[in-house]
Amino acid sequence: MSPSTTRIVPFGISLGMIARYAVLLIGLSVTLLPFVYVLVSSLKTPAEIIRVPPSFFPKDATLQNYLTIFADPRVPVATFFANSTLVAVGRVLITLFTSSLAGYIFARYEFSGKNLMFGVLMAQIMIPFQMIMIPLYLILVQLQLIDTLWGLILPAMIDAFGIFLMRQFIEGIPRELIDAGRMDGASEFQIYARLILPQLRAPLASLGIFTFMATWNDYLWPLIVITTHEKRTLPLLLTWYSNAHGSRPALTMAASVIVLLPIVLIYILFQRQIVANAATTGFK
Amino acid sequence: MSKRLIVRWFLVIAVLVLSGCSSAAPAAPAAGEKVTIRLWSHQNSAFNKVNQELIDGFMKENPDITVKYETFPYDQFIETLQTSMPAGTEADVIEMFGSWVCNYADGARLADMPADVMSYKEAQEIFYQAPLDGYYCNGNLYGLPNEFNLEYGGALVSPALYEKAGIPFPPAYTDYNTLISDAKKMTVLDGDTMTTAGFHFVGGDTLGFILLSGILEQGGTYFAEDGKHFNFESPESLNVIRTLTRYAQEDKVIDATLFSGDNGLPNAFFNGNVGIGYIGSWAAGVGKVDFPDFKFDYVMLPPMFGTEPKFVADAGWGKVVSKNTKHSEASWKLVKYMTAERANALKFNQISGTIPAMKSIVEQPDEILAVQPWIKPTFALLKHGAYLGNVTDRDQLFYEIIAKNLTDALTGAVTPEQAAAAIQKQANEMVDSKSK
Amino acid sequence: MGQRGQLQRTQQRFAYSIMTPIMLYLMLFSLIPMIWAVVLGFFDYSPVRLGSGLFGLGGDNPFVALDNYIAMFGDTQAAHLFRTSLRNTFLFSFLVLPLNLAITLPLAIIIERSHARAKGFFRAVYFLPTVTSAVAVALIWGAIYSPQAGLLSSIIRSVGMTPPKAWLTDPQAIFMGIPIAMIALIVAHLWQDFGYNLVIFIAALQGIPANLREAAMVDGANESQMFWLVTLPLLRPTMLFVCVMTLLSSLQMFILAQVMTAGGPREQTTTILMSIYQNAFRFQNMGWAAAMSFVLFLIIFTFTMIQFRVLKTDWEY
Repeated sequence: MSPSTTRIVPFGISLGMIARYAVLLIGLSVTLLPFVYVLVSSLKTPAEIIRVPPSFFPKDATLQNYLTIFADPRVPVATFFANSTLVAVGRVLITLFTSSLAGYIFARYEFSGKNLMFGVLMAQIMIPFQMIMIPLYLILVQLQLIDTLWGLILPAMIDAFGIFLMRQFIEGIPRELIDAGRMDGASEFQIYARLILPQLRAPLASLGIFTFMATWNDYLWPLIVITTHEKRTLPLLLTWYSNAHGSRPALTMAASVIVLLPIVLIYILFQRQIVANAATTGFK
Repeated sequence: MSKRLIVRWFLVIAVLVLSGCSSAAPAAPAAGEKVTIRLWSHQNSAFNKVNQELIDGFMKENPDITVKYETFPYDQFIETLQTSMPAGTEADVIEMFGSWVCNYADGARLADMPADVMSYKEAQEIFYQAPLDGYYCNGNLYGLPNEFNLEYGGALVSPALYEKAGIPFPPAYTDYNTLISDAKKMTVLDGDTMTTAGFHFVGGDTLGFILLSGILEQGGTYFAEDGKHFNFESPESLNVIRTLTRYAQEDKVIDATLFSGDNGLPNAFFNGNVGIGYIGSWAAGVGKVDFPDFKFDYVMLPPMFGTEPKFVADAGWGKVVSKNTKHSEASWKLVKYMTAERANALKFNQISGTIPAMKSIVEQPDEILAVQPWIKPTFALLKHGAYLGNVTDRDQLFYEIIAKNLTDALTGAVTPEQAAAAIQKQANEMVDSKSK
Repeated sequence: MGQRGQLQRTQQRFAYSIMTPIMLYLMLFSLIPMIWAVVLGFFDYSPVRLGSGLFGLGGDNPFVALDNYIAMFGDTQAAHLFRTSLRNTFLFSFLVLPLNLAITLPLAIIIERSHARAKGFFRAVYFLPTVTSAVAVALIWGAIYSPQAGLLSSIIRSVGMTPPKAWLTDPQAIFMGIPIAMIALIVAHLWQDFGYNLVIFIAALQGIPANLREAAMVDGANESQMFWLVTLPLLRPTMLFVCVMTLLSSLQMFILAQVMTAGGPREQTTTILMSIYQNAFRFQNMGWAAAMSFVLFLIIFTFTMIQFRVLKTDWEY
């Protein structure tokens, strides 16, 4: 229970509370409007979506745009979806493990070279990815990982950002907990796995979502690494119907929904988990 | 315990890496075994469709060769070429634009065509000189063209908008005064927002070709005396820029602010917001595939300047072979099959709506005209085409330098004189920066 | 004594056994590519050219020493574009950071004070845009900003006002010295990004022990005193993290501008990363692009260090 709840009188509604909820609701509509917009636009016919003056809701809602995309033999949506899922899940699991473990070591261990290592990590965040793209590509060629889904997972197994985040959280965990673990004769890895990891549920969930989303939405890199059409990931759909040679806005909107929907659904499911975690563990 | 877990972790990663490796390992070519070659191109519905059909035909004829066709969005296509070439992972056969070819050939990234495939002389017999010239650098031939690029002299016209404005359709223009006056009638303004443009000519390719061809039409040249740098401050060049600016600013037949980007040609046209759209006939091919229900026609326009048509030909799309290919023979076989065999070359032009680079298709035009009737008038133009020449970096010159600065003049952000000076300065800087 | 040394040795061994593979990995996938990128900045390198020597550095891709860096101060279009894109990037970042904090921190406090259920709900919804693809966001906001058929203009018209002629393409549309297209990008970026900081702030606020606040309340502190004297100091590490990450991400803004405006109108929204990308992959000046990205790296590095210093030393207690 958060302390503020004690201040709310049952059945009593304060002015401040009304103002607060008004702000929250305005924010809510601004946040959701683009989602609603893309959804309703995707149900419009190609003619209606460009009609001036525009209407917000479609006059004759149709699923034709979706049917067109799913029937397009050039875009095997199910295959793209499976590829995206595989890469995203793989990267999330690996990143959560490496980030929490390395974050723990940076937060709670002293060893020579620590600052240097941390510096290298920070530099990884600071260097623009576009610039290391070519050398990275050359390295993947040497590892023979070009045109494989591993080429999308392997370069992202260590996430400097994730390590940084975990270190911040682990620094907030009292040292006594670790000392107590050592007293009980737990090995260093056991302390990490049994004492630290359970404390990290909420930040791990956040990092997991963040990684999943970054992977799911990754656009530039997969288009370069993957050359076989059947190995491509879902975001390819986004620009498939929109390029300099002719764009079809209704199909683009439907393609956006197809790309967005899975991650939004997964997010909704996952979010409940986080909320429950925060409530039961106190997340202090 | 901890040690064992770490070992296990290493094992997992090792297995993951190895499994990745094994799936990526390319099959070593063995004598008599099936070879697999790859073809890369950018994404364009009509091109992709016909390329796939030709590949299917090729594989049927050559059961020992498998062709994998891989496509990329235009930007990523260029990006992927540049990432993969240092690594040697690019496709065996690449669909390139003619005016890129020498750039890549100079960098030793492309294979020159073996004489037994076809000599330059033989190629000259088969193809028009202008498109072929794009593939001929430093005395070597690096590939063969599929199309005669023509962004000049023709326009998409929309019957619905002509009817709405009460103008007879199809139009037959002999001068630009009539065209502009028709365009004015079709232009629709809502307040100061233009919802329909009578005459749309704002596009990365179109603006460049109008400027360069316009200079030629007036008997001028866009090259400086050294043949490498540019001269865009000539009276001819200024005349083109001023004329286009007048269409936009005084006649108000196009609003370059609103009709650009996603609303540029041909999107705006096929969305029904443009009366006359100055663009190459390939756009008609795209329209037929992507907008099958949209009614339109493609007509020829008179020269914008002078009386004789004269235009700049930018080679056109064709096929080249990578220097890194391990299957040179099969790759050139495919190139030849797709570009030099008449039936296939014809099919390419028929489906993609492009103008043939092959002389014999134009000389006996019934088959191509049965499918793409609107390209007929362009045939008379072909002899007036001159190859663009070595403009250093074609995409940068057209898209970043000419189109951007011309658009600034069209929107009134700068004067035509300022635009000409900016094009001049930036184009020559480009030449200097790339010839270190 | 002996036991203590033994313990330390075990700990060290554990730390190294984990960090060694991680560092080897980083060496391969981060350090070497980074060094490579720096080296390229001293060459007139283009991947289009085969070159000669090690990694094609030489021959047609010659060593040019500091030429690329000297050229940044020149009077060429490329140098102008570089400086314009730097200016644009700074403008973007220094507008985004305060706006982001001004939205997320108050909102986080409001949400934190809400009913447990409402808290979960609002947090979930506000975080939603951050999980979406930047390309999709750019496409959706591009449609929203579409001058004629777009949502924003028609909302403005429906309340009887006149929207600007075009949101993303009119170089003459300027508001308080800031191009409208830039503002449009900032709004889209904030929309997509604010949920992230919000969630971090909420988590940090939840981490503040209840007894601290209760103690302050017993001492008679009012709401604003509580915020400035209790909440804010305790948020210091979070604030550091949020500022660094927000600045880093906005200095590297790319996809939104690339898809929505392509840097236009008249280079008003060309960011430094766009400039790098275009030179590397479109104009085939990868050496020049590498030099520019090293400058970007130095800028990012400097800001990060400044923020670490400021936020750390000031509030140390």
